[in-house]
Amino acid sequence: MNRSILFILTLVITASLHAAPVKIEFNRDVRPILSENCFACHGFDPKHREADLRLDTFEGATEDRDGSRGIVPGDLAKSDVWQRIITEDKDDLMPPEKSHKPPLNAKQREILKAWIEQGATYQRHWSFEPLMKSTALHPPTANPIDYYIAKKLEQNGLSPSTAADATTLIRRVSLDLTGLPPTPSEVDAFVKASAKNADAAYRALVDRLLKSPHYGERWGRWWLDQARYADSNGYSIDAPRQIWKFRDWVVNALNKNMPFDEFTIEQLAGDLLPNAKESQIIATGFHRNTQINQEGGIDKEQFRIDSVFDRVATTGSVWLGLSIGCAQCHDHKFDPIEQKEYYRMFAFLNNQDEPEMKVFDPKVDVKALTAEFKDVTKRLTTLITDRYAEETAWEKDMAPDFRAKLSAEVKKAVAKPVAKRSLADNVVIFSVFTQPSDPLRILNDRYKELDTLLNKGTTTMVLKELPKPRKTTVFIKGDFTRPADEVTPGTPKVLHAFETTNPQPNRLDLAKWIVSPQNPLTARVIVNRVWQQYFGRGIVETENDFGSQGTLPSHPELLDWLAKEFLAKKWSLKQLHRLIVTSHTYRQSSANRPELIEKDPNNYLLARQTRLRLDAEIVRDVCLTASGLLSPKIGGPPVYPPIPDGVMGQGQVKRVWTVSKGEDKYRRGLYTFVYRASPPPELTVFDAPEGFNSCTRRIRSNTPLQALTLMNDPGFYEFAGALEQIIKKEGLAAAFKRCTARAPKPEELAVLKKLDSLNAARTLLNLDETVTRE
Amino acid sequence: MNAMNPLLHQTRRHFFSRCGVGVGSMALSQLMAREDALTPRKPHFPAKAKNVIFLFMAGGPSQLDMFVHKPELQKRNGQPIPESFTKGKRFAFMDSSHRTNLLATRFAFRQHGQSGAWVNDLLPHTASIADELAFVHTCKTDLFNHAPAKFYMNTGSGLFGRPSMGAWVTYGLGSECDDLPGFVVLQSGPRGPRGGAVLWSSGVLPTTYQGVPLRNSGDPIVNLSSPKDIDAKQQRQVVNAVRELNLKRLVETGDQEISTRINAYEMAYRMQTSAPELMDIQGESKATLDLYGIKDSKETTFARNCLLARRLVERGVRFVQLYDTNWDHHGGVTENLEKHMPLKCADIDRSCAALVRDLKQRGLLDDTIVVWGGEFGRTPMGEVRESTGRNHHIDAFTMWFAGGGFKPGVQYGETDEFGFGAVENQAHVHDIHATLLHQLGIDHEKLTFRSQGLDFRLTGVDPAKVLKDILA
Repeated sequence: MNRSILFILTLVITASLHAAPVKIEFNRDVRPILSENCFACHGFDPKHREADLRLDTFEGATEDRDGSRGIVPGDLAKSDVWQRIITEDKDDLMPPEKSHKPPLNAKQREILKAWIEQGATYQRHWSFEPLMKSTALHPPTANPIDYYIAKKLEQNGLSPSTAADATTLIRRVSLDLTGLPPTPSEVDAFVKASAKNADAAYRALVDRLLKSPHYGERWGRWWLDQARYADSNGYSIDAPRQIWKFRDWVVNALNKNMPFDEFTIEQLAGDLLPNAKESQIIATGFHRNTQINQEGGIDKEQFRIDSVFDRVATTGSVWLGLSIGCAQCHDHKFDPIEQKEYYRMFAFLNNQDEPEMKVFDPKVDVKALTAEFKDVTKRLTTLITDRYAEETAWEKDMAPDFRAKLSAEVKKAVAKPVAKRSLADNVVIFSVFTQPSDPLRILNDRYKELDTLLNKGTTTMVLKELPKPRKTTVFIKGDFTRPADEVTPGTPKVLHAFETTNPQPNRLDLAKWIVSPQNPLTARVIVNRVWQQYFGRGIVETENDFGSQGTLPSHPELLDWLAKEFLAKKWSLKQLHRLIVTSHTYRQSSANRPELIEKDPNNYLLARQTRLRLDAEIVRDVCLTASGLLSPKIGGPPVYPPIPDGVMGQGQVKRVWTVSKGEDKYRRGLYTFVYRASPPPELTVFDAPEGFNSCTRRIRSNTPLQALTLMNDPGFYEFAGALEQIIKKEGLAAAFKRCTARAPKPEELAVLKKLDSLNAARTLLNLDETVTRE
Repeated sequence: MNAMNPLLHQTRRHFFSRCGVGVGSMALSQLMAREDALTPRKPHFPAKAKNVIFLFMAGGPSQLDMFVHKPELQKRNGQPIPESFTKGKRFAFMDSSHRTNLLATRFAFRQHGQSGAWVNDLLPHTASIADELAFVHTCKTDLFNHAPAKFYMNTGSGLFGRPSMGAWVTYGLGSECDDLPGFVVLQSGPRGPRGGAVLWSSGVLPTTYQGVPLRNSGDPIVNLSSPKDIDAKQQRQVVNAVRELNLKRLVETGDQEISTRINAYEMAYRMQTSAPELMDIQGESKATLDLYGIKDSKETTFARNCLLARRLVERGVRFVQLYDTNWDHHGGVTENLEKHMPLKCADIDRSCAALVRDLKQRGLLDDTIVVWGGEFGRTPMGEVRESTGRNHHIDAFTMWFAGGGFKPGVQYGETDEFGFGAVENQAHVHDIHATLLHQLGIDHEKLTFRSQGLDFRLTGVDPAKVLKDILA
């Protein structure tokens, strides 16, 4: 990564140094050098500060220290910092040998020299500064995204690529917006419409995709990664949990295009909103996606506090793009966040009870059902009491081998004397020996149905504010057995002011502070993270670190313009998506070009699109779609598609995995049940996160285990079997098109024709192109 | 990697036949010349060892019944430990079965070999190789519950989702084996280790470096076998066709990821043969099987895993980790000191010694570090449940090291009269990690990975030291 940062810098600096006169900008040119090489010992954290010298502020750097000064603006000879950098004396050289950092190179020295000569002006860290005003200067016509991208390309003597062809484009934008590939007829229609009016056809396509309910599934998964969602408790016991209602809430909220500020407030503090609706309470499941340790012999408080640590760190990285978790044990070494401020953030998230909430399907009339349940219970009790004799006789006549075959539940009930049996016991017994048409049996069945619906139904994990807040203190070195000063809820000073009239500030105040228009971070962080999905990398590459250790934005003006636009369109994510995918930058071809390999091999400047291997769930979805098996059903409890033998024996407790029946076997990857300690291999080999902590960017690995999965996994083999049938009915070319959206070339067909239809189908599902968004 | 050359050759052919199309004017070397994530890499400085075999006794073996002889503990059996030892300390099960009375070992200790190492009679075979081993008696960890402590021993952190040592080492050095994964995990005992797959997770590192468990039954690797109706010839045809079509796409798009994927398919195909071949120990001599105490070549024991570990390092696998479970002798019905401790010791004793001997006789021990230990040790105080046992203990426990430039026959670290805590030369988990990396030629402060604004490393942020005294 460092190499890439250097690359960008080199571009910027070469461009600027060769144009005279050069005005050094602290944030762009100097800060990265100081942050990488100096701040660990001469930065914000006083405990690790060497020689009592700090270089992260102008005051610190220029302070008179017994006659010598780190930096004397305009005077290199008197600036100690400069002298220590250029010295030949190994003992004096900075950065010192023990830091394992190489001496500064010629370019870095040149920058520092020019900066000191020009007066050593400091700026605050870029992301703490308000959004730039200069972004208003783009010309009014084109999509401003293309303006900012082209501007930088031009500075580097490069030009954008041409637009991708219609086939590539419809597959790309369908996968990006809905996570599903287009059907062959959708492709044909789009190609035809594009030939008439490419722009209009594309706009219509984007509108259709943004309205698709699958949009919420695709982008829901993006958010669930950040929410560290999974279906079990984690740690060693890893029992299953019910929190899928939160998953469905996310999908629905995105489909409804809930403004991102509301989306934030409901998840962080939905329960504290006036007259909170059930859905708003479900939303607070966001911070219940922490793990729960159920191991014997543990100190529960230790693990409760660990989950609060996780909530603080997650809030920091998801919404602020800051690694505030670093200040858990000590003042942040690189960013101006004190340990005490960390615990003031902690205080907001330390006052909750962690209950499960019973939830009802909106179509269920709870009141009516409760009344019915009461009535059924009464009638059933009478009926059963009347038939005790029959029950006793049945028991007496039971053959021994029949008795032996009874389920454990029935055996347990039968073991009790008749008079001591509860209604539940009798419900179980009568279910065995009565005929389905018996009125008692019918009532019995209704009783069980109502019982499940009302009493054993779905629950979801939520947050609930304690009436009286817990006391929060600083923990020395983050150790909960070492409490120090008590703190009250509050936010870091370096950011915008925390304002509330609430005498006892709570999560709702925190949420409102996060989405305040004064906040310079959240809008930038979110647009960057959306951008990253489309180009494989954010404008700020370190998508979860906008602090001083993070990389600088490759296109700072573009980032700020997008953030302003996001705010201007009232935090509308769909508008943001539309803006990005309709740009030429997005629509470019992803094919590499010789001059790009040389000048920008990693595509920082975006003179082309990037081929991206699909996310784990989408690899599954694409293969399911290609083979015609996909169930488009949205939402509901997680499902259990086939997994290879022995996978569930990997954790400490061997969990049951009963393969789902019917269409639930073929649901989208989003709905597969994920045990944190033994997640489905089909997903993890393709880098799906396990939900241990917030994942703001997936790694894209490329391994032999992926090859084994696509070739041999029983699930994928079944998909190949279905695709084989398609080959038999519709031919190889049709099957090829279902996988890649395009028609095969004759030489490609020739390769496939050498195989029988099953192995041709397997080959198609294993192609790099099938699992890649081009 | 070896597979690179034929591929390069083929691509070249392909390239010339299609010159002028797509990115045809690109130099071929630009398309193909990329390091694979597993390409062997040079260490920071010349290494003493190339491979690691970590014998992980999951649950926390009792050092006081195996390697630590404390006459004072024997003498004061049943008496309370002086409060000065335990004041302010926290233990697991503090609310229930934890006790403060000292517990003597019921098994006899003897000194062995030139080095005079004390080893309990429960471990006669280990005792016979005592002069090969470097014992560290003052190991120290920070966490006293199983799963977090296991993460700590493996990843240097008690949190879920950090890279484990095997992943770090493979990330640092790459792999020298092109038909098996670089980091392999083997398991024995009645259940999986607490923490599960997280113990061999690649955490923030790419999943390429994740440990791959070789399973004892069914496919050794998940999805290793071709589907049952697909024979080897058909599988090869598919791999060939996939390669041919992927090559065309590579030339068309100029995306080097495709060349990585082509290599991945080749390695996957080779693994389909090499992994079953690895697991099939029928070709081993009777003498070898006897040495390990293996009675049946299909048995799923720690002994067989030890032999597999040797076969793995023989094939160039970088990091092999064996988990053996049920070392949690609290004194319950299934895990107590009277009955189960001797059985567990018998499970591992012969094969641990056999592994060291076998590596040595094959000339592999110089290049291979063998590590033995658990996530923590056990208290000098007894614990009373249905039977007797000891509680989790994090202040001082024993690990041993063999080969890979460790000093044979050394005893490192002095503990107090009950073996409760170190009185000199404490060896924190981070120090142990630093030492292992050092032997592999890695400076633990330089092996870092940037994520979430932090330079992650195995040894964490506090200073860690290389334990020079146990190195030859």
